[in-house]
Amino acid sequence: MSNNETTYCKRMKVAHLLANDSSLLSILQRLDIKLGFGDATVGELCSRYGISEELFLMICNIYSYHEYKPSIGTLGKNDIKSITTYLRASHRYYTTVCFPAIHEGIHTLVKSLDDVSRKLIDKFYDDYDNEIINHFRYEEEVVFPYIEKLTDENRPAETLYSIAQFEENHSNINEKLNDLKNIIAKYLDEQYSSPQRFELLYTIYSVENDLRKHSLIENKLLIPLVEKLEKSHE
Amino acid sequence: MNKEAKYKVVLIEPSEIVATGIAEIVNRNPEFSVVQTLSNPTYYNANNNDIDIIIVNPTVIDYNERLDIRSYFGGTNSALVALAHSNYEENVLRQYDDCIGIYDNTARIIQKLKSAMEENSQNPKSDLNELSTRERDILKAVAKGKTNKEIADEFNISIYTVISHRRNISQKLGINSIPGLTVYAIMNKLVDMSDFS
Repeated sequence: MSNNETTYCKRMKVAHLLANDSSLLSILQRLDIKLGFGDATVGELCSRYGISEELFLMICNIYSYHEYKPSIGTLGKNDIKSITTYLRASHRYYTTVCFPAIHEGIHTLVKSLDDVSRKLIDKFYDDYDNEIINHFRYEEEVVFPYIEKLTDENRPAETLYSIAQFEENHSNINEKLNDLKNIIAKYLDEQYSSPQRFELLYTIYSVENDLRKHSLIENKLLIPLVEKLEKSHE
Repeated sequence: MNKEAKYKVVLIEPSEIVATGIAEIVNRNPEFSVVQTLSNPTYYNANNNDIDIIIVNPTVIDYNERLDIRSYFGGTNSALVALAHSNYEENVLRQYDDCIGIYDNTARIIQKLKSAMEENSQNPKSDLNELSTRERDILKAVAKGKTNKEIADEFNISIYTVISHRRNISQKLGINSIPGLTVYAIMNKLVDMSDFS
């Protein structure tokens, strides 16, 4: 969508957004928004929870519209903080909801496998799990504190770190999940087809999709905003 | 034939003089259009599904790879036409659907492009997603943890060729990470678990 015309706006009802795209439920969940919101509009819900409606709409639009290009022109320092807060909540959502669900699915699946396949899949998933925990930890312990310091202190941070370094090293957390998905869908032997295997695939697809959006928020919103802030300090 | 329906041609030829000349001759014909000219085959994007003909100077392909030209281009569906400046072994040229000589005139070049497309459409292609023998060998090496440099040395090919094979392998399998390729290789018994202990 090059003109961003058919996207969400603050007068829309939250229920309408969900009817359009159920994956937005996960955004409500990680923002601790309680269900039972009745006919509240986006604007009403955001003000009740103290969330920036502009940012909320951008995130929902990123989730629902492939071609949507957020324009960061109107966002400021407070929004940067809201983004890091959102991303932390998002990490928490992955580590407490999504990955345990995949882990559970893998655990059930491998019980029925031969020794070799079981070892392979267990090890592959454990390595991925470690990788993603390190990825999140690095962001939470190095990147976000750097950004928050930068927005708080109104001057260049006293460190040689810059967001460009993050951008350069920001690994693709989806690559291995995509591999796992294909291994389970295409390459694990037919004899192991089961409802649980389908179930696991559903979960992986939805987590993969969510992680893709999560990366978009980092790459299209957070990084450009911080770059702008760094420049203004120069 | 309307303008949009031109056959798309990619030209891979290191000599600018020759490349410009061939492109001019091909483009003059209303049925064909050179959409890309490359000096080096590693720049060719094997995912390009809508190319009808690849004209390539066999010299630019590493001599080890010349005998498996179609898998070199990622098992492409395009017709392959050699652009021969000099003589090549017969089994090198046999890989191509036709061969243009440097002294061919315009009519003959166009006729050869057409016959190459004809020839290409008659040969049933192997399953596009199936790995070629060379790709399987390289996959085995990757799964065993060998670096691109080690693989290049082992197979006597350039690092660029290794990278190009790896890209094609990942594309075909839908698996990108080395651990993922290793899982695939073991599940398909290309390598043995004991190689890792």
